[in-house]
Amino acid sequence: MAERAPAIHVRPEFEAHEIRAGSVSDVTRELSLLERVIDLDPIRKLTILVAMIAAWELYTRFGGVSEYILPRFSSTGEALARAVWSDGLLTMVWNSMTVLIGGYVIGLAIATVLTTLAVATRFGSDLLGTLTAMLNPLPAIALLPMAMLWFGLGADAIMFTLLHSVVWPVALNTHTGFMGVSDTQRMVGRNYGLRGITYVVKILIPAAFPSILTGMKIGWAYAWRTLIAAELVFGGSVVDTEGTQSGGLGWFIFANQMDLQIPYVFAGLFTVILVGVVVENLVFRNIEQRTVARWGMQS
Amino acid sequence: MRPEIFVETLEKVDTADVERPLSWIERAWNVNGVRKATILIGLMVLWQAYTVIGDIEPLMFPSFGAAAQALYQSLFHSDLLEKIWFSLSVLLIGYAIGLGLAAALVMWATSSRIGGDFLATCTAMFNPLPAIALLPLAMLWFGLGVASIVFVTIHSVLWAVSLSTHNGFRSVSETLRMIGRNYGLRGIPYVTKVLLPAALPSILTGMKVGWAFAWRTLIGAELVFGASSGSGGLGWFIFENSQNLETAHVFAGLFTVILIGIAVENLVFRNIELKTVYRWGMQR
Repeated sequence: MAERAPAIHVRPEFEAHEIRAGSVSDVTRELSLLERVIDLDPIRKLTILVAMIAAWELYTRFGGVSEYILPRFSSTGEALARAVWSDGLLTMVWNSMTVLIGGYVIGLAIATVLTTLAVATRFGSDLLGTLTAMLNPLPAIALLPMAMLWFGLGADAIMFTLLHSVVWPVALNTHTGFMGVSDTQRMVGRNYGLRGITYVVKILIPAAFPSILTGMKIGWAYAWRTLIAAELVFGGSVVDTEGTQSGGLGWFIFANQMDLQIPYVFAGLFTVILVGVVVENLVFRNIEQRTVARWGMQS
Repeated sequence: MRPEIFVETLEKVDTADVERPLSWIERAWNVNGVRKATILIGLMVLWQAYTVIGDIEPLMFPSFGAAAQALYQSLFHSDLLEKIWFSLSVLLIGYAIGLGLAAALVMWATSSRIGGDFLATCTAMFNPLPAIALLPLAMLWFGLGVASIVFVTIHSVLWAVSLSTHNGFRSVSETLRMIGRNYGLRGIPYVTKVLLPAALPSILTGMKVGWAFAWRTLIGAELVFGASSGSGGLGWFIFENSQNLETAHVFAGLFTVILIGIAVENLVFRNIELKTVYRWGMQR
């Protein structure tokens, strides 16, 4: 068998004859004030926000859009101020938040118990795996009709759906995080003689904290969406609406939409956005910076 | 200095079998699927026993048998399949449009700084806004039809997907970018050949989150306004039956929701992951 030499591909030689003079702009120069201002991140974002608001205001003012379809930004702002001062919007936000935080905390506790069981025994792990695989894809809001049947038309029914929306994502992510803790860290823990609760608290939780936090963020997002949907859908029947100072944020939006108070609907949406931004950017960002970012586990 | 320790006599250690063939039961029990199936069957038996022995009012909590029967009956002798198809087609339309819009937005965001700022501002504002809260407005703008449900579905997909796609694009390593430039890639080929594959794990995460939000939003929206949108979907099926106190059928609806969710998450996304990011060794 004659060995065949590999074909050698030789690139043809070429010469670039003429290189055009490149146009070199300033190599160094002082940035003008405008350029330095534009380089600031918040300024650019603020400009975009202001431009969007201005476009909205101009469109509604001169586009001949009906107030019932898209209210002006100014009347929305007015409605927001009026709702905060005289219609008790803050109380409604507070009502929503207490239900939400209550459900969230209980949900976290249940998830903790489930995950502890799952870490401790193989049966627990299988049980948790089966339950999360089944119940995580089930939107919590779909359980609301059943919850209303079981717990009556009260805050209990909303609480139950909230629990359902928090427990599964948190338990799933925490469990996955625990399973992913490296064997080296586990062995270090064993070597120090840690066992049971101290082992979980000192080794597993810090090592799995990034995914625990992810789970908590997903849980929060689902719970927030579920709460608004539940209040929006069944707000009138679920939250007791005796007196004007009760009901939640979703109910505020729904009731105003029914009365065709569209500026108030937008005011309610603004409030929802504000609450969401505050929780995601202040609360979770701070927790992240104090823990996983500081420990160098996440950039 | 640690004092010296002498252990004079070691106790006799009681060692168990060092090596022995596993019994048949132990081997079966070691199979993951067997254990999970056992748990599933155990849960069903518990449910059935609880409702039968506890003599629970079927209107409040039907037995597993009744729920399964209701599922069978509405699947094959009623119009549940049509309702599933209706829900899924609305969802798919919304999801596809949402993905298209997200792709356009992210293209703009990667190609210019103002686009990036625009996207960042919009996602920061609209991502925390539950899409379902827009439903009252959508109904006002688009009427009580499929259009308003599609609108909220788009809203729930768009921001989640574009946020994580943009983040993925930004965290593509400089080395990969420079390789792309070195090959003379530019514009669309640069995005499809370098950025997309490198950022696929986070794009897939975004698509999964977007799917989860869209599915939840759709069910929520249909729970309320399904009736007005013609034939109605799965959410409407659940709501209608709970209003009529057909609790077994409500559970049949919930089973269907779970089954579709599992099918999409474990078959569709899992397969996409296996064929792309796992195979390319980007995720374990």
